[in-house]
Amino acid sequence: MTAVLQRAAPPAPRLRRDRRRWVWGLGGLALLGWALAGSGLLSGPVLNPAGTGQVGRFLAAAVRPELGAEFLRVVAGSTLVTVAYAVLGAGLAVLIGALGAIPASRTTWGRRRSGWLLTRGGLALPRGLHEAVWGLLLVNVLGLDPWVGVLAIAVPYGAITAKVFADLLDEVPRGGYRALLAAGAGRGAATLYGLLPPAAGGLLSYSFYRLECAVRSAVVLGLIGAGGLGYQLALSFTSLRWEQVWTTVYALALLCLLADVAGRAVRRRVAAPRPGSRRDPLLTGAVLAVLALAGWAVGYLALSPAALVSARTREQVAYVASAAWPPATDGDLLAAVWSASVETVRMSVLAVAFATAGAVALAGLVARPGGPTGPGRRALGVLTRLALLLLRAVPPPVWALVLLFVLLPGVLPGALALGVYTLGVLGRLVGEAVEEADRRPGDALRASGASPVGAWLYGSVPALAGPVLALALYRWEVVVRDTVFVGLLGAGGIGVLLSAATSSFDWPAVTTVLIAIVLLTVVVDLVGARARTALR
Amino acid sequence: MRLTGIEVRFGGTPALAGVDLAVAAGERVAVVGASGAGKSTLLGVLNGAVPPTAGSVRVLGQDPAALRGRELRRLRARTGTVHQHLELAGQLRVVHNVNAGRLGAWSAARAAWSLVHPQGADDVLAALSRVGLADRAYERTDRLSGGQRQRVALARLLVQRPELVLADEPASALDPALADQALGLLGELATGRGGALLACLHDPALALRHCDRVVGLAAGRVVLDAPAHTLTVAALEGFYGVSR
Ligand SMILES: Nc1ncnc2c1ncn2[C@@H]1O[C@H](COP(=O)(O)OP(=O)(O)OP(=O)(O)O)[C@@H](O)[C@H]1O
Ligand SMILES: [Mg+2]
Repeated sequence: MTAVLQRAAPPAPRLRRDRRRWVWGLGGLALLGWALAGSGLLSGPVLNPAGTGQVGRFLAAAVRPELGAEFLRVVAGSTLVTVAYAVLGAGLAVLIGALGAIPASRTTWGRRRSGWLLTRGGLALPRGLHEAVWGLLLVNVLGLDPWVGVLAIAVPYGAITAKVFADLLDEVPRGGYRALLAAGAGRGAATLYGLLPPAAGGLLSYSFYRLECAVRSAVVLGLIGAGGLGYQLALSFTSLRWEQVWTTVYALALLCLLADVAGRAVRRRVAAPRPGSRRDPLLTGAVLAVLALAGWAVGYLALSPAALVSARTREQVAYVASAAWPPATDGDLLAAVWSASVETVRMSVLAVAFATAGAVALAGLVARPGGPTGPGRRALGVLTRLALLLLRAVPPPVWALVLLFVLLPGVLPGALALGVYTLGVLGRLVGEAVEEADRRPGDALRASGASPVGAWLYGSVPALAGPVLALALYRWEVVVRDTVFVGLLGAGGIGVLLSAATSSFDWPAVTTVLIAIVLLTVVVDLVGARARTALR
Repeated sequence: MRLTGIEVRFGGTPALAGVDLAVAAGERVAVVGASGAGKSTLLGVLNGAVPPTAGSVRVLGQDPAALRGRELRRLRARTGTVHQHLELAGQLRVVHNVNAGRLGAWSAARAAWSLVHPQGADDVLAALSRVGLADRAYERTDRLSGGQRQRVALARLLVQRPELVLADEPASALDPALADQALGLLGELATGRGGALLACLHDPALALRHCDRVVGLAAGRVVLDAPAHTLTVAALEGFYGVSR
């Protein structure tokens, strides 16, 4: 008798596509196509031939910046003003953040989530507005007072810092804290002994990161008139003194670079403390130096608390507050806000797409290769990294001003300016991701005869696609805020509306535009967060 | 294939020091030796991943060092390797990792399109069912167990259909039955196409069952080279320094 039992063959498996990813991927492509269609790139002229001569002169001046003693003294003074704004702005922001973290942390509210939600919602407003927008509003209330520069940094940074500090505290493992509570300690004391010590490194590190960003912000605030290097740059620019422009650009690039390098050194030290010594001289020195700088800055800027509470200020605040509510709702304005918002989204999408494509294309050059290489390849790598560094050392509005010479106003100059700057940032991040990625799957494929493209597609892309897209989405959130800002300087988008409304003191319209900006940033943040989870 | 006077140095220490080895078509060779003896390096020299510091290599009648571009790729496509650490892309679905074995024959456009719409799925499914994984074809590779991943790497070789098969501990994570099956497949794959198999194996019994010849390495030198039927499991264990 033979066995007739035969196991049924398992049904052939079917390819089940990840629908969420496809929807997000195709949606992203559609968004990009829509942004491209609206950029004017595919229809009509975008170049401004009249400006090319000016650009030639501008570029020629790069090699002969103004180095006269008098101008150098002016630049040095402006640099100090910028540094003073940055230190005070960041310092105040950390203070606000530390206080704000209490109501913004889950630990404080326990199970009563409503208070927590309310605080978080309240923080979204100051966070959603770019420093320059705050600067513009504060100038109208405080006049030309040094507080404008300091507060324009401190208010949005304070809100972000409060949120991040609260998250850091909430992420600390609860064990120690609960043990202290169980032992009868009050909640304040338990926080001091059980939550702060483990979070201290993260808090310190983030504070220094904020200082680093504040230097950049202080530079760009100058462009809207708050003084310092940015102001000097705007002056030289409007008077077409290209040699001076370049001196200022070099100074601010150097300053941003210095902040970047110093900040990273400090943060790296926080992340990997040196064993043995109880107090790290570098960290102690850095903290003391910042405190000393803050003390000096108060004197240097002649900051007086009286200006904040003077009768004039109070009058002005009361006036603006009463004039600004209710927001304007006439049809023309709403239509303008809508089309400007659309333009802003288009600009930001184009900028991020350009930067991401550029960063991916350059990643092979930026990443230090694993194996031995020729001197030519190494030199090319160093050059590319330097170029990226220059791209991100010059703030986006400066790029916008330059591009407005050659391009007609519209979506494109702003998008390119932001794209160029973001390429500087993303290029480095993507290069680092490539360096950290495992090279062996690709090597194995090359050893079995795969073409370079094949080995890249099957060996490297799978591991890198997720992280790179996540980075790009994070940058998109930043770029939307920056888009508003380059718009303030005339590069298009909703920023243009805002600067028009403020300069004509049309406060109800200002309120409407501000609401639109906050909504826009909130929506972009939400979409970005959803897309990231879908890609994970 | 033939190696003459091969020397490989990483920095100062030599990983291979003067290896001469010739393997004829149809041979199944087990490479044995203590950890760090240079087995993986030897396979690397053969598939071109490790450039020798000195000596000459001939693979399938050609000198890889003299070839460039397309010619070199064509030769490499005729050499298949199961790596010790597998080197699969964990984020890809199994089907793509198997198809990666055909990248030597595919154009870049086809390779890219296959990531959207898997090409030659029938071949992939056939290869996977030979290693008992047909039902996992569309899962993400990093969701599989270690032994299952090892079998994915084998399936990749099955669709690549190389002549020279290099296998670096291809059965280290497999149970005894699957290990036997895997080595059987590899031997068949290589000799069936008139090629040869070189497998690094830590299990003496497995080596003797599936190979015709055993080459022993110690500190980068060939110290043993004998037909399998002249050796016993006990002798090989002695070679590894197992005392009984
Ligand atoms: N990429 C490398 N860089 C530096 N040294 C290496 C490299 N690869 C191998 N070596 C060294 O060469 C020697 C031989 O290594 P190999 O990987 O060939 O050993 P193996 O016989 O395969 O060992 P195992 O059985 O543990 O896999 C070792 O001493 C190792 O440290
Ligand atoms: Mg090995």
